[in-house]
Amino acid sequence: MPINNPRFVDRSWTRDCDYLNFDLEDSVPQSQKDYARSQVRHAIVQGQKGAAEINIRINCAYPDADVPAAVWPGVKQINFPKAETGAQIRHLDALITELERVRGIRSGTVRIGATVETTLGVANSYEIASASPRIDAFGGGTGYDMSMDMGIEMFVGFDQFVYNRGEGELIALALGLEREGGVFMSDTTGNVGNAELSIKRAEASRKAGLRTGGGLHPNVVAPQNLGLTPTVNEVEDAHRVLSFFAELDQRGETEGDMDGRIVDKYEAARAEELIEWASLCAHRDAEKSAAREQTAAELDEQN
Amino acid sequence: MKPFVRRSHLLVPVLDREKVETSWTHNADSVILDLTGIESEDDRSRARSLVKESIRHASRGGAHVFVLPNKALARADIEASVCPGLKGIVYPGAETSADIEEADSILSELETGRGIASGVLQIIALIDSGTGVWNIREIVTASPRVCSSGLDELNLCRNMGIIPYADFDPFVYAKGRIVVETRAAKVQPIGISHPYGVLPQFDDADEIYQLALRGKNLGFAGAICPDPSWVVQCNTAFAPPADRLEFFRETRRLFAEGVARGTAAVPYPGTTMMIDVPVDENARVNLELWELCAAREAEKAKAIEKQESTMA
Repeated sequence: MPINNPRFVDRSWTRDCDYLNFDLEDSVPQSQKDYARSQVRHAIVQGQKGAAEINIRINCAYPDADVPAAVWPGVKQINFPKAETGAQIRHLDALITELERVRGIRSGTVRIGATVETTLGVANSYEIASASPRIDAFGGGTGYDMSMDMGIEMFVGFDQFVYNRGEGELIALALGLEREGGVFMSDTTGNVGNAELSIKRAEASRKAGLRTGGGLHPNVVAPQNLGLTPTVNEVEDAHRVLSFFAELDQRGETEGDMDGRIVDKYEAARAEELIEWASLCAHRDAEKSAAREQTAAELDEQN
Repeated sequence: MKPFVRRSHLLVPVLDREKVETSWTHNADSVILDLTGIESEDDRSRARSLVKESIRHASRGGAHVFVLPNKALARADIEASVCPGLKGIVYPGAETSADIEEADSILSELETGRGIASGVLQIIALIDSGTGVWNIREIVTASPRVCSSGLDELNLCRNMGIIPYADFDPFVYAKGRIVVETRAAKVQPIGISHPYGVLPQFDDADEIYQLALRGKNLGFAGAICPDPSWVVQCNTAFAPPADRLEFFRETRRLFAEGVARGTAAVPYPGTTMMIDVPVDENARVNLELWELCAAREAEKAKAIEKQESTMA
């Protein structure tokens, strides 16, 4: 969200977001860049009221001005848009390292989110993703900027970014990073607040092994949280799979038929992973809920 | 290289004189004179002897004329082709930067010897092997003459042992890689959507248009047209849609107003769309491309007018 818009920033903690991406880049007009930079610390306080992780998206053209304005205690990640080279990321890493030192932030803890939004960025994905240990997640380039660079119109009903996404995900896997992105779903409207599409995409993405989402409208937060969280039925099923596999193991068997499907060590590992992910999601939801309750109580007291 | 518009590249066999002589009448942005697929030595000699005259025919409608030589006989074919009026060559089956560097060197030598300004002849790199797809970055960056690059899908099928099949596109990855690497090098990717790259058809104008448009929306800037029936459809599909121009202009106007008010996230009235920098930039790029396409059309119209008055 544009960090220069207090209406958005001051309500950001109420949105139940796992993370908030406060923007110094494309949603902030040139004339307000300085003002936007001055709002980072206020935005951190607002966003943390709901226990969201705080990300700041800087301008790729102004890292030297933006990074000192963005790196403060409480900031989890600096998002670098339109990443095109490893050198850009190394420069960003050096700026962050220095600011961590002078601002009392534990060394190496501020992450970098490198966003690929141009064809050159896709072409150089490996050098970008491997340029800093601060990058722990990576994905392929899609979106408006990428469309412009590819000379394409978006929302035409088919997947135009197969290669970009494939490159990003392969590179993430090769480097041991979390994969970022989303499964393609046909969308011919470009409606940023489409909750129905958002939940379908989130569910499909989770089943494709992805765990993060993002959006431009508060309407899509709840659908994404829901779609990216395993359902109660899925968790129950995973427990049954683990029990069944444990029984197999006791009998010295490596695979068996459970209600018409084969359960083996791979299915068991998948079930274990799902239970672990569901537990992390529940923990995160409880954390956010407690923070929002506390903030609401404090506000009540003040009033 | 200055921005250029080549939405349609009409492929014409040099030995088919009727097609050569009418090639300028189809309104193609570019004509490619094909010297490949000629079996006998006699026919090859005849084709070479006809190239320069063919270039004059093909350029009468303002098309940029290229020659497609045989890879194995490239030097002799290029030597037979380079003359004022030629825009460049199509390099078939490029696999490494060395292929392009060699072509560059031949063109440089001939430019010097034939009174053509240095560096003006261009190269369209066609890829027809897995090696070429893998090495696309070094191919498109091997020479500043490389203006465009695309897959020769039929030969790529042959080289990879693929039987073309309409229901399945075997080159999703290859096309994606060509588009990304070519555009990253500021070179134009050319191609059409499946299945016309491997199974071209010529009698359904709407389908030609739809597949060319899909090609544009995969990132291609133009296509090679094996038949004149593709030319108009490609010229239309690879240009920004005329019915969106007003939308692009309004997007720019609303965004400028928003910025003046201190916001760079502006709702587009009556839609769920937000205009921010990339949306505004997209509108700008489309309007600029529209202008370039209009200029190209005017250039061709002027050439045709000149031809007609000469003929009258």
